[in-house]
Amino acid sequence: MDAISTEKLTKHYRVGFWRPRPYVALDALTLEVGRGEVFGFLGPNGAGKTTTLKLLMQLIFPTSGRAEILGRPLGDLVVRRRIGYLPENPYFYDYLTAEELLDYFGSLFGYGAAERRRRVAALLDEVGIGAERRLQLRKFSKGMLQRVGIAQAIVNDPDVVFFDEPMSGLDPLGRREVRRLMLKLRDRGCTVFFSSHVLSDAETLCSRVAILVGGRLVASGPLSNLLAFQVQGWELVLTGVTDTALEQATRCGQVVRATRLGAEHYALELPVTTAPERVVSDFTACGARLVSLTPMRETLEDYFVRQVADAPRNREWGRA
Amino acid sequence: MRWPLLVLLVVLSGGVVALQAVYERRGGALAGSTEQVLYVRSPDAVKRLALSYDALLADIYWIRAVQHFGRTRLSTEPVKQYNLLYSLLDLTTSLDPHFRVAYLFGAIFLSEPAPGGPGRPDLAVALLQRALQASSRQWEFAQAIGFVHYWWRQDYQQAAAWFQRAADYPDAPEWLVPLAATTLAQGGSRESSRMLWQQIARTAEDDWYRNEALRRLRQLDAMDQLDRLRAVVEAFRQARGGPPADWDDLRRAGDLRGTPVDPTGAPYRLSDGAVSLDSASPLNPLPAEPARIR
Amino acid sequence: MAVIGHIALNVFKESVRDRVLYSLVAFATLLIGASYLIGQLTAGQDVKIIKDLGLAAIATFGLFIAVFIGIGLVWKEVERRSIYSLLAKPIRRHELVLGKYAGLALTLLVNVAMMTIALYLVLAYLNTQFSDNARAVWPAPAVDVGMLRAIGLIFLELLVVTAFALFFSTFSSPFLSAALTFSLWIIGEFNPELRNFEAVVESPAAAYLARGLSYVLPNFAAFDIKTQVVYALPVPSSYLLTTSAYGAVYIALLLTGAVAIFERRDFK
Repeated sequence: MDAISTEKLTKHYRVGFWRPRPYVALDALTLEVGRGEVFGFLGPNGAGKTTTLKLLMQLIFPTSGRAEILGRPLGDLVVRRRIGYLPENPYFYDYLTAEELLDYFGSLFGYGAAERRRRVAALLDEVGIGAERRLQLRKFSKGMLQRVGIAQAIVNDPDVVFFDEPMSGLDPLGRREVRRLMLKLRDRGCTVFFSSHVLSDAETLCSRVAILVGGRLVASGPLSNLLAFQVQGWELVLTGVTDTALEQATRCGQVVRATRLGAEHYALELPVTTAPERVVSDFTACGARLVSLTPMRETLEDYFVRQVADAPRNREWGRA
Repeated sequence: MRWPLLVLLVVLSGGVVALQAVYERRGGALAGSTEQVLYVRSPDAVKRLALSYDALLADIYWIRAVQHFGRTRLSTEPVKQYNLLYSLLDLTTSLDPHFRVAYLFGAIFLSEPAPGGPGRPDLAVALLQRALQASSRQWEFAQAIGFVHYWWRQDYQQAAAWFQRAADYPDAPEWLVPLAATTLAQGGSRESSRMLWQQIARTAEDDWYRNEALRRLRQLDAMDQLDRLRAVVEAFRQARGGPPADWDDLRRAGDLRGTPVDPTGAPYRLSDGAVSLDSASPLNPLPAEPARIR
Repeated sequence: MAVIGHIALNVFKESVRDRVLYSLVAFATLLIGASYLIGQLTAGQDVKIIKDLGLAAIATFGLFIAVFIGIGLVWKEVERRSIYSLLAKPIRRHELVLGKYAGLALTLLVNVAMMTIALYLVLAYLNTQFSDNARAVWPAPAVDVGMLRAIGLIFLELLVVTAFALFFSTFSSPFLSAALTFSLWIIGEFNPELRNFEAVVESPAAAYLARGLSYVLPNFAAFDIKTQVVYALPVPSSYLLTTSAYGAVYIALLLTGAVAIFERRDFK
């Protein structure tokens, strides 16, 4: 049984008041997400990611197609008891405190007062909300609200969580915490389905991704299998680089381009054919110190631009 | 807040107060507004527009009626115009047909002769006739109609008939029967008047109305006392061949024990053998008595 | 059912935090101020006027609360998107609608109850200011349990108004919902006039139309027995019963309509 499965899920909106024209927000999305996966749902803004999530949450109803969560139809209350949802840019009742909000949502699951107290305290600790839990949410920053949003999504210890852009509005520290939390959920056996337009989020977390452009699925599978995201070279940053060592490396084709960052401080671009370990050991043997080594890939942004510019060909590639 | 803003706020607040003071100084509302004009004259239209606020609106019209009556009474204008009184009472009682006091006091206000009131007992009777149809405690309104006939129109036939009619209502008090009989037999006499006012003084729930009844009763007492004093003066004149110069003459003659005073404590006046109330007495003016009684 | 209760309590909490209960302070100030002023202005009608004013004010304060909170109940959830996380919880949409309604009903109940207590306190004080003589001619005692019947029907009327506001807010903007609800309230107060329309208009078609409308449109005038209780006129219990049934059925109709619309609505 899949955690999530959709079959030709389609949503049309009618736009325009006098002469409504159909607008395809989601076009026949067929997708399967296995249990225990961290699944990245990627695409540029307006690709249909939020539409898909809203369809799965039954905030909107599909024009055609069907979907199941945990092998059951969407409207099923049994399913709702076992899922969690973080909307994009979440907003909650600003007259409540973080504690009260989670207590309220807990009560909707039918938890007793003692149970709720226990869960709420643990959740707020988990998402890193301390003394602020007694403040009304109107005083919360966007990042804090995002944490509250994550807490409310997992108030029921769900089997599947849906996070819509969970990293947006967070500073780097916050992003790292959310990543850590998502992995923790995965380790508990929870399926994590999250949408993002930032590739690096997906790279560090996902077992699989799906890429959506203009309401259509253009690719899905393990990120490393997607051709466009294979490593295309390496970026190596070193200090203590001597001129002779640099010259030699350039001569044997190990370095394509060198950018001087400071005295004896260089960023080097290595071709994909080179084994970066060897280049590093050659330089360190000459007294250089390693600062960083990063694989170079096409960014998601570049990829989207290419997709939009050249849709038909890439769709075929995506389906392959 | 920065201080220029604060100064501006203070200046503007001062301006509002100052301009309102100017408005007041030049006489307030323009002639023709509020006091003298009724916004809506048709009771039917008002009742429709009142939505569920008819009772509250009736209260407001009633307060306006009382204010209009009181203010006009106290005004210094040479001719006092109570033009709006009936319309206001009509609106009040149309909006709230059970507004007992508006009928009863409205009738008193309307009957009061100029300058203390518009002197329209006919309108008072018309108002009370509507009350008879619209409201409970009908004997009270019938009695009030009788009272208007008795006191303001001196029509004792009609008065007696209305008192009798009032007495015939099932919940009517017993004293109405003798009142009707006395009015029929000797309407306008002090005896029947005293009976009428005594009942009013006993039953009035309003201080002003009770005090009015007590004043009327004192007037009746004063009239009795005046009759007796006049008899004493007449006897003195017959015995001495001339009227007494002052009350001391009568005291020395042993006819009186001191200077006689009316029920409010003001001394009676004696000049040229004629006895009268002191001009400062609050009992002035005494009511005229029908000729046939005297 | 428990879910409806939790949602209702949250609505109540919201209205308390939004300072709705401050209206009680305004009400008490109005009543006390009026009873002081009226004593100066008019001849001995304080008790009647305070009853008129108190009952009208309970109805009016309640009307404004019912409309202005009622139109926001659902609309605010949708507009601020708080409904997204709410509907992902194990609740059904109709439970959300009914819970919101119950919450405002609870707010109104507390409000009306407190205003009633304030009114009775002022009347109890006024009662001490009059002689037995004066009290004897009052049609009803100052502190009169019978008044609760009028207040009960006012409350029921407010529940119908709330149902209208909620119904409209499931598909239209707050401004439009408020305008529609207020219009219907006014029309509902005019309802008895529609019945005697043939006396006013020539055309029989218009008269039929008016008569037909009087059956369909809410008859808010039926809930108004203020005059009757102030003058202690008889109010048959059958009247109270049929009016209550009328109100209940109307509320059920509107809530069903609201649920029907809300069930299939997309929250884009």
